[in-house]
Amino acid sequence: MVSKNLMAASTKPMILAILAKGEIYGYQIIQRVIEISGGTLEWSEGMLYPVLHRLEKENFIQSQWKISENGRRRKYYRLNESGKKELENERKQWLKVHKVLSRVWDPLHAFD
Amino acid sequence: MFDLEKAIKDWRKDLNKNEALEDGYKEELECHLRDKIDYLKGLGSSEEKAFKEAVKKIGKADSLGAEYFKTDTRNASGLPPWKKSRWLFPLFSNYFKIGLRKIKRQKLYSLINIAGLALGLACCAVIILYVTNELSYDSFHKNADRIYRVATHRISQIGEYKFVASPAPLGPELIRNYPQVEQAVRVVPPYENASHVLVVRGEKRYFEDRIWFADEDIFELFHMPFVQGNPQTALTHPNTVVITEGMAKKYFDEEIPLGQTLQIEIDYDTGFVELQGYEVTGVIKNAPANTHLKYDMFLSMETMRSNLSSFEEDWFNPKAKYTYVKLAPGTDAVDFEEKLKPISNFLIQRYSEKYNRKMDLYELFLQPVTKIHMYSHHMREIEPSGNWYYITIYSIIAFLILIIGCMNFINLSAALSTTRTKEVGLRKVVGAQRRQLVRQFLGESFLITILAFIIALGLTSLLLIPFNQMAGTELTLAGLAQPVVLLSLLVLLLFVSVGSGIYPALILTAFSPVSVLHGKLAPASRGALTQKILVIGQFAISIFLVICALTVFKQLQFMKGRALGFDLEQKLVLRVKSNMEHLRRDYEAIKNDFLQNPSITGATVSSSVPGDRTNSGYYMTPRMEDFKGAPFIKVITMDYDFIPEYGIKIVAGRPFQRGTGNDEREGYLINLAGVKELGFLSPEEALGKRFMAHYHRLDKRIIGITDDFHYRGMQEVVEPLVMDIENSLFEAITLSIRVENMNDLMRFIRSTWEEHFPGVPFEYSFLDENFDREYRYEDRMGKLLGIITTLGFFIACLGLFGLASFVARSRTKEIGIRKVLGASTANIVAILSKRFVLLILISVIIASPIAWYSMVKWLQDFAYRINMNLFVFFVAAAGALVIALATVCIQGIRAAVVNPANSLRNE
Repeated sequence: MVSKNLMAASTKPMILAILAKGEIYGYQIIQRVIEISGGTLEWSEGMLYPVLHRLEKENFIQSQWKISENGRRRKYYRLNESGKKELENERKQWLKVHKVLSRVWDPLHAFD
Repeated sequence: MFDLEKAIKDWRKDLNKNEALEDGYKEELECHLRDKIDYLKGLGSSEEKAFKEAVKKIGKADSLGAEYFKTDTRNASGLPPWKKSRWLFPLFSNYFKIGLRKIKRQKLYSLINIAGLALGLACCAVIILYVTNELSYDSFHKNADRIYRVATHRISQIGEYKFVASPAPLGPELIRNYPQVEQAVRVVPPYENASHVLVVRGEKRYFEDRIWFADEDIFELFHMPFVQGNPQTALTHPNTVVITEGMAKKYFDEEIPLGQTLQIEIDYDTGFVELQGYEVTGVIKNAPANTHLKYDMFLSMETMRSNLSSFEEDWFNPKAKYTYVKLAPGTDAVDFEEKLKPISNFLIQRYSEKYNRKMDLYELFLQPVTKIHMYSHHMREIEPSGNWYYITIYSIIAFLILIIGCMNFINLSAALSTTRTKEVGLRKVVGAQRRQLVRQFLGESFLITILAFIIALGLTSLLLIPFNQMAGTELTLAGLAQPVVLLSLLVLLLFVSVGSGIYPALILTAFSPVSVLHGKLAPASRGALTQKILVIGQFAISIFLVICALTVFKQLQFMKGRALGFDLEQKLVLRVKSNMEHLRRDYEAIKNDFLQNPSITGATVSSSVPGDRTNSGYYMTPRMEDFKGAPFIKVITMDYDFIPEYGIKIVAGRPFQRGTGNDEREGYLINLAGVKELGFLSPEEALGKRFMAHYHRLDKRIIGITDDFHYRGMQEVVEPLVMDIENSLFEAITLSIRVENMNDLMRFIRSTWEEHFPGVPFEYSFLDENFDREYRYEDRMGKLLGIITTLGFFIACLGLFGLASFVARSRTKEIGIRKVLGASTANIVAILSKRFVLLILISVIIASPIAWYSMVKWLQDFAYRINMNLFVFFVAAAGALVIALATVCIQGIRAAVVNPANSLRNE
């Protein structure tokens, strides 16, 4: 399990990254996360949708209602230009943190 | 059969309850749910199971909403609106505004509420001041917990006594031989003229009665701050005096008193009295009200020593000497009392040597100085001790008034609640929750209580004036600043505002917004029972108070009206407080000089006059010089004219007569009670019997028996009394007057007085006024009850007024219809008043037995008392009914005269 705080912090870059691959709706995002993580991460709806709405409000993503082939309405989300920039930004930050962590945990660098 | 679409619809409804979920969000969530269900069904679940699992996965509306809100909100409080439980600041100001507007709009009702509460609070504030004052006596001294007064417990052949004085040499003895005693200070009243010492400076001549001799260390033991002078040396020399600021003003005005001289006349029991000069060596702050030792001047003990050399050796003089000690830290008072045994033994031994009589017990015991006022009830107390009985009575009365005020508040607010249903409905519709509204109304009641409290402060200062007179206290509003008082007032304030606000708040917030906004009034029956109970409670209290007040009043009338057995009217009493030798020697000449004026029809001198509370008495024994077991009988000594002047009836034998021999040396009169006390079966049997009194050791015969005249108030049985002609005790002149021109007469009396007693302040009183003082407690209690009852009734009627208006309003339609059908105004008033008659009757039934019981108890203390009769109850009940009906009728008439067309139009 991943802690609640870490989960919350990682949703934004993950959503942005998933959206970078193309238009997608909420249910699919959750399924995708399960897929990518091999079932170790499972987002709840209560967490996902508010974040999506906030990202939309912050103008990183755009949404659109569409009607699917079986007649069901679905709201699709898509990354826009500033979203792409934000994703790059997030990626840099995560890598920075990742680099530090891996160096700390690497026995060769333990005593630097 | 499971219906998925219906289940989803219900689920959506559930989501609707949450404010954070907007329509689009809900739509999205529903799509999500459906996808999930499809997925789960694909895995092989049944439709119902899939739905349940999917719903469970997505979560409850509340937690979902919370997540949305958390991510969405920019609100500082961070709490979703449906969870708001704190005061919202913008709303708070709105509450405040609405509260003030309500108070302003409904001026009459607000006035009733505030006035009722203010009166109750003011009464309570006075009582809190009184109680804290009573309990704070002498606690302001530094290390008060280590200061004690040494008192004496003595058993001898005369009887068992506990008195709060101790021998004069005890203080120095304690300092010499007891390391546990840090300080010991004696305080001694001037001997003969203890209650009136003549103090003179130039033209100013006054009697002072709070003068003491004191050891020089007194200012270290007690907290008596100096304004001028040096506390260490102020009382080290003879003929020095330390005075209070008040005295300094009285005798020296603006002059600096230090180093000046006051002439003071002290009787040292040496047969020689004259004015002596005393140098003022210090000025101290005035004595506080809460000390048992009240003082105006302290004379140095050196003065006493140099005037009365035997003072320091006198272990047995019974006159009052008070010894105060401060024990060293950590000394246990009980242990220390044990260590005083050697002194007791020494005293018992000395006593038997000196008087050749055995003393069975002599014990010294310690009284903590802070406990003296409330707990010490022994002989020779410096001032009357505090009384728990008064504290209880006053507290109960104050509490009752407060209760009436609170009930009023509850009643009126509940009655007025109908006028606020729209507001409550609207607030509920825009999202107010019940808890929030309850807080709003509690806040309003707090606001009203605060307003009432401010008014109560003003009322308190007014109430304190009569209260101080009645209770003999010196309470001031400044006392409210004490932390204890403030704290109790705060508690009271909270108690009152919550206690009287909670019920109306609950009533008000219980309305359903839908029906209210539809225009339906809340049903009139709601809360009506509670209101009835409140009205019954108010009136029961009021009727109880009326019965008490009437009983006290009747008892007072009875005591004042009952034949006292002597003439009370037209008698002027002059008190001789200085130059008494002249009175005692030349009283016949003095009387003659007064009798020169034709308006003065008689004159007599005596040791005291009826209405005086002296404790002087004789031990009377039929055997020579043996007073063992002899009864102690109160005494009035008099001249030949006293019995005829006072019109006292002789039932056997004869009064004192000039010329029949030597009544001065030969005769006693006793009253009927005295006959019994001395063991005779009939007055005739007592006649001629010989007795010796311990005071003058003269063997006299009983020559006459008087009726039991009430020489004290009517509260007590007439006590045994002996009368004889003993001029060494004379202190008062009684003049029987026939008033034609009071001014001329008083001028004559004054000039005659000045001839005989030059330089002695002229003080007089009328005997009937003097005697009325005997009833001052009952008098004041009656007055207090009268005021309180009126107030209580007033407040209760205000409450009833409110309730009647509430009832009338809720029955507007009914009244309209009745009028249309031909009912007259009188009919309608009768219908509206009927139910209140019942309420009042119930109150009477509740109040009567309680009042009956309390008053029977109260009357038990009186030797001569009225019987409780139904008349009082009848008057109280009738009075309550009349007043209540009058109140209700005003409302009834108002409701009845409304044009039915108006009241029926709006539907």
